[in-house]
Amino acid sequence: MDGPAQSDFQRDFGRLARRVHRRHALRRALTCAGLGLTLGAFGALGLWALRLGELRPFAAGLGLVGAAVGALVGVRRRWSDADVALYLDARLGTAETLTTALGARGSDEPALAHVVERAASVLGGADPARVKPRVWARRHALLPLGAAALVGICLAPLPKAPAVPAAPPGAERVRMNNLKGLERIEALDRLPGRSPEQDARLKALAEQAKKLRENLAKGLEKREALSEIAKLRDGIAAERLKLGDQQNRPGLDAALRSFNKNPSLRDAQKALGNGDLTAFDDEMQKLANRAETSDREAAKEALQEAAKEAREKGAKGLADALDAERRLFDKREAHAEVLREFAKGMKSKLSPEAQEDLKDFGRSGDPAAGQRLNDALERALEGLTPEEQKRLQERMQKQLEEADGDASPLSKKQLQDLAKKLGTEDGVKELENELREMAKPEQSDDSKREQGLGDADRGGSAAERGLGAVPIPMDGDGAPSSDGKGGKGGDPGQGGPGSQHDTGTGDHAGSTPEVAGKELRAKADAHMQAGAPMHGATLGRAPARAGETANQLGTGSLGSAQQTEVGAVDHSDIPEEYREQVGRYFEP
Amino acid sequence: MPEPTPTFEARLALARDTSIRLRQAIGRVIVGQDAVVEQVMWGLIAGGHVLLEGNPGLGKTLLVRTLSSCLDLRFSRIQFTPDLMPSDVTGTNVLVMDGTGGGKSGRFELHRGPIFGQVVLADEINRATPKTQSALLEAMQEHAVTIAGTRHALDEPFFVLATENPIEMEGTYPLPEAQLDRFLLKIAVPAPNEDELTEILARTTGKPATEPERVLTREEVRELQGLCREVAVAEPVLRYAARLVSASAPDAGEAPPLVRRAVRYGAGVRGAQSLVLAAKAVALLEGRAHVAFADLQKTAAPVLRHRILLSFEGEADGVSPDQIVRELLSAVATRPEAVERAVQGV
Repeated sequence: MDGPAQSDFQRDFGRLARRVHRRHALRRALTCAGLGLTLGAFGALGLWALRLGELRPFAAGLGLVGAAVGALVGVRRRWSDADVALYLDARLGTAETLTTALGARGSDEPALAHVVERAASVLGGADPARVKPRVWARRHALLPLGAAALVGICLAPLPKAPAVPAAPPGAERVRMNNLKGLERIEALDRLPGRSPEQDARLKALAEQAKKLRENLAKGLEKREALSEIAKLRDGIAAERLKLGDQQNRPGLDAALRSFNKNPSLRDAQKALGNGDLTAFDDEMQKLANRAETSDREAAKEALQEAAKEAREKGAKGLADALDAERRLFDKREAHAEVLREFAKGMKSKLSPEAQEDLKDFGRSGDPAAGQRLNDALERALEGLTPEEQKRLQERMQKQLEEADGDASPLSKKQLQDLAKKLGTEDGVKELENELREMAKPEQSDDSKREQGLGDADRGGSAAERGLGAVPIPMDGDGAPSSDGKGGKGGDPGQGGPGSQHDTGTGDHAGSTPEVAGKELRAKADAHMQAGAPMHGATLGRAPARAGETANQLGTGSLGSAQQTEVGAVDHSDIPEEYREQVGRYFEP
Repeated sequence: MPEPTPTFEARLALARDTSIRLRQAIGRVIVGQDAVVEQVMWGLIAGGHVLLEGNPGLGKTLLVRTLSSCLDLRFSRIQFTPDLMPSDVTGTNVLVMDGTGGGKSGRFELHRGPIFGQVVLADEINRATPKTQSALLEAMQEHAVTIAGTRHALDEPFFVLATENPIEMEGTYPLPEAQLDRFLLKIAVPAPNEDELTEILARTTGKPATEPERVLTREEVRELQGLCREVAVAEPVLRYAARLVSASAPDAGEAPPLVRRAVRYGAGVRGAQSLVLAAKAVALLEGRAHVAFADLQKTAAPVLRHRILLSFEGEADGVSPDQIVRELLSAVATRPEAVERAVQGV
């Protein structure tokens, strides 16, 4: 059935169908554009929040993309002819006439022909305005809203940049070519060890310091560097001779009792009681320099006895140190004797000051006086004429014959050698050199080691400061108090905590005001209480009962609290790893 | 010279005219009940049988009588009772003595039962035993009866109108679902309203009413039924009918929640066929040569209500089949969703 009615119907239906398709595609495009613009507005909002302002206008592209997608979807998912016919039937109220007529193509049933005729007639008289699908919907309000929002967001000023979160304490990288203080730790490899094992450990510490220096030159996290230095300082502290610990304490006490027998040994006893082997060595040097034989004998005896007592009490390290000191004492004594004898021989050639130095050297054993005497002797030797040299030689020979060889620590042969040297010009030069060598103060190995370790520890402390690790920031410069009264921490120009120069004798009832510790408050809102111990300060520990140390001169808890214990963790029972972690966390 | 074949438009117009005349003729006797008369006409035109359900005294029998009077068709009535035998419906062979052979010879002669009418009123069909009911129902399906091994075709058109009383259920034999399915429509006969009742009283309590005139000849009825079959149905309309019927099954994907809960069995293929046929009749009566969605919706209740078997839960909840049909009509969309939205202008 392809009559005129059918062709009319097909033509009119096709026209209306195209119109319906177009409007539906437009409707979908508008919907998708609205959605796209809305999404674009949200995208622009996100970019605005992320402060990517220059990218905001690109979000508007989402609206165009949405429109294109909508049009594409509208075309691809357009209604079938049956759907269009159903729509037209519903809109025209033709009770599915068009739908039925649409399926009539090619059929010759009279009923269908009749339906097609009716359909053609309906479509011919149909008002196109009545059947056009609605394009605008409420959801299309998204179009202007989305566009307005997009424009608004694009024009809106960007939000303020959020504060950059603070890096974890100590996480910043430091790069230093020359961290002061490390060289003192590196110098540990030149220190004499008590044993080959300690030698190796000292060298390892020095090596570790060198490696740290290299790493710092490349760049290292500050906390890592501080941790390394802390380890080094721990290692240094472990190498130091600890006289006040549980093992050495009885030996030290016994040794100190040995020195208590003679008042001339009081200073040496005090130095030993303080655990300061360097000071002790100095005192021994002075004793060895003294002219009074009884003092020297008392010192040797005390050293011998103290070494024996210490060994018996199990303080092997102390006993060894005292033995070494004893051996060195003889050598020093001989050097001092030579110097004195020689000075006596040249007494006529010495100035009154030099003669005074000779007396002082014999009385106090002060190495400085010995040095000054030595200088005067050198000058006197240079000015001797050959006749004077000869006379000096004869006089010394005579003194040698008169002297009781057993009373002098200097051997007869040595004195003979000295006398012989005065006979020639080269001999005088050689003598000058020997005198210079003898005048040099000679430290014991233990003294050297302790001094070196202390120096290394201070180097470590300096390195820590160099990295910015200041334990407690304080106001004031720490200068001594001018009025001799108790210093008030925090007052500029007055003695601050830690000042060792305040020797004032005024009352110390002054209270310490609150410390302006902002850095500390940053960790915890802490008010430091007046009179309470400050964090990190070592008050010392006493293995004995409270009050016991007060009866023992120069001993006690402060004796065991050495300079290295300022960090408060030298003798802690807390494992090192844990201390390190805590140290890192509380690193300012 | 043979009479020229009338055009389809002429036939359609004649059918419409005829149906109007039939409606008017019935209306002269039957007061009100327009919907019932309309639906009975659907059954007649579609060539299906009709089950009328209503309380006693609502004019069911009168309606059938009037209809048969308006049609130039043989009318017969069977009053179903429990003692009614199948042969009372179908007829039987009776031995007839013909007087030859000394009066001892005879022959069997078929005495046709009331089923051989063309418009058969099966009054109170649920009062007969199932055996008797099945004799009638076989004739309804086959348009033929078998008596003593001989098959007898029934004259066309053959139109059964059965009535059923829903309130007196004691001593009745409800029709099985398979037999109910043979009825094209199940028409609920409502009580007349006040105006209609007043009119009925006025007409029936005075002088006896005049017999209704015959409006349709047998040929015209057959023409109407033939024309009904020619009515076109678009594919989307057929699909809608199929979806409607499918959704009446509780295990169907499209079944609405009420159907899932309250229905045990839904309508089947015969239900879908009946729906489309009845819709064609509606279209024809409205002068259309094609079926619309509205036709299906109009016929859905009388076509499907006796084909939907409620579940125990549905019966316990007092759900009626008509509720189910309404639920189906609201749940199953005629057009695709996008088209529907566009039609609504959303």
